[in-house]
Amino acid sequence: MNVRREQLSIDPEKCTGCRRCMIACAMKHHGRIDPGLSRVNVIRLESQDLNVPVICMACDTAPCIKVCPMNARIRQANGTVTTNPDVCIGCRACVYICPAGTPRIDPYTGRTMTCDMCEGETEPWCVAACRQEKALTLCPTGAVSHRAARQAAGRTKKFHTCN
Amino acid sequence: MKLVIIGNGIAGNQVAFDVRAKDPEADILILSAEDVPEYDPCSLPYFLGGECQQTDVFRKTPGDYKAHRIDLRFDARAVSIDPDKKQVTIHTGEEIGYDKLVLAHGGDLFIPPLPGIDNAGVFSCKQLSETRKLAAHNGTGAVVIGSGAIGIEAAEALKRKGYEVYVIELMDWILPSLFDEPTARRLETELTGYGIQVFTHEKVMEIKGDGHVTGVVTDRRTIDCDTVVVATGVVPGTALAKTAGIETGRGIQVNRQMQTNDPDIYACGDCVETIDACTGEIAMFQLKHNAIEQAQVAARHILGEPVRYLGAYAFARAHFFDTHAATFGKTQRALDCVFGDKRIVEREDKNNYLRVMLLDNQIVGGQAIGTFADELGLLIGAMWRKDDFLDIAAKMRTLPKGGAVHAWPMVRLGTLLGM
Ligand SMILES: Cc1cc2nc3c(=O)[nH]c(=O)nc-3n(C[C@H](O)[C@H](O)[C@H](O)COP(=O)(O)OP(=O)(O)OC[C@H]3O[C@@H](n4cnc5c(N)ncnc54)[C@H](O)[C@@H]3O)c2cc1C
Repeated sequence: MNVRREQLSIDPEKCTGCRRCMIACAMKHHGRIDPGLSRVNVIRLESQDLNVPVICMACDTAPCIKVCPMNARIRQANGTVTTNPDVCIGCRACVYICPAGTPRIDPYTGRTMTCDMCEGETEPWCVAACRQEKALTLCPTGAVSHRAARQAAGRTKKFHTCN
Repeated sequence: MKLVIIGNGIAGNQVAFDVRAKDPEADILILSAEDVPEYDPCSLPYFLGGECQQTDVFRKTPGDYKAHRIDLRFDARAVSIDPDKKQVTIHTGEEIGYDKLVLAHGGDLFIPPLPGIDNAGVFSCKQLSETRKLAAHNGTGAVVIGSGAIGIEAAEALKRKGYEVYVIELMDWILPSLFDEPTARRLETELTGYGIQVFTHEKVMEIKGDGHVTGVVTDRRTIDCDTVVVATGVVPGTALAKTAGIETGRGIQVNRQMQTNDPDIYACGDCVETIDACTGEIAMFQLKHNAIEQAQVAARHILGEPVRYLGAYAFARAHFFDTHAATFGKTQRALDCVFGDKRIVEREDKNNYLRVMLLDNQIVGGQAIGTFADELGLLIGAMWRKDDFLDIAAKMRTLPKGGAVHAWPMVRLGTLLGM
């Protein structure tokens, strides 16, 4: 299995809800300023005045791959999972099964789309658009992993008990 | 190790390719009753309706089998198993020995014993060969018998092809095992809006015709048509397992490692009965994701890895034209057979509808149409985690306004539930 090389991380506390990430994403993938075409989705939780950038996290055991009736959800070499628009029939199974409801629907074709980490770019465009607020950042290899976190915690414990 | 797999479907291929990925030595043979590489039955209605090419239904090419040194035998229908000699017999009488055997032959279409069912013009949509025949057929009026997911998808496909379409359902509402009445009635209205006639609580008595279908007689009316599609459900294939003395219930019985009572014979996919991952009950959800997961477990166990199958789960979508709906877990009707404190949360907003089933304050099922369905995954997650509904409601009330940034997943879930 291809494991995602790098991971986007979100920090809703820093998100101002400006939606520049959405515009950058639409520009990158469709060449248009149209937030409806973005793969990042800034959701607004009115009751808490919260803005949360929601984006495909490319689960290791992505359920969307298994439920797609057209086998259009494909794990890419960089670890992301994207929809092949040539065979997608827009049934939205991937949207419904996603634990975070991340796949977005192209309003013009009805097909779904998710983050491909702007393959080939030095940095995903949404991250570049959020450089100031840093609500969307890129973690280099291994930075977001429970294993690494647990290992790190072990070292901390050792450090504390030795002294 | 000689691994023999019966059935070249979703589950069979997953086992074969998973074993090959980790074991370059194994001798792998797949026995297929059909004569094509692996295809996805879920894609068939879309091929029928012209929404995709025939080539798009395939998950493998003949070259994939060669490249992975997997021996695929076409037109080899397994007819019996001798567990003592460790041999499978195929329909030609040839005997094939095995070290490990995997039963992945899925289910068979249930064909109701109706007078006239042998007429030309009666089709099904379960296998590629059948669907091809239906796609090549030039008809004008079609009756779909049965309104399960396959029936509804077939009805949509035929409507797209310009047929006059009628759906006949014996139960009180369409998609009876997936949706409750309030959801199903809404879907029925939408179907009717697209010009598909739906008759529920109606029984097909006879297919009229003298060689060729001319109509369908139900207990209420006669419908003139030249095409009939049988979509009355899939029954798990247990006959083959019985020849080996393997224990079966509704489906082949397996343990958490997908082994039958003969430890060298595994079973996975539509032919097995397993347990529900969330409730622990005996379950038979004949769905693709379950077939894949069961096959992955079987493959890992064959390779000697310690694994344990978590269980199956129900998740299905109902999609036709511009209508989008989905369901997971238990329906209200399924809950009627369970003890406990039950509650149903409903939300409605124009054509969008959400219905969540709670058992002892835990989410055990849900159905949604339209925009509510887009966040259905949040509820599925809550079902897996066994979130307490009252807890969420209490926390939602006490969250400091604007200060609960890191509780956003819960706030999102609570908002969806209308708290
Ligand atoms: C039209 C249609 C739409 C569907 N839509 C969905 C959907 O949207 N979502 C979903 O989750 N599921 C869907 N399903 C169900 C899904 O396709 C099945 O759950 C899945 O294919 C099961 O895989 P399997 O490997 O167990 O069986 P199958 O894929 O059915 O494969 C069994 C194979 O075994 C072969 N075989 C049978 N008997 C023998 C024998 N004796 N010897 C040798 N070979 C034999 C058969 O020819 C077949 O190729 C749909 C099914 C159909 C028919």
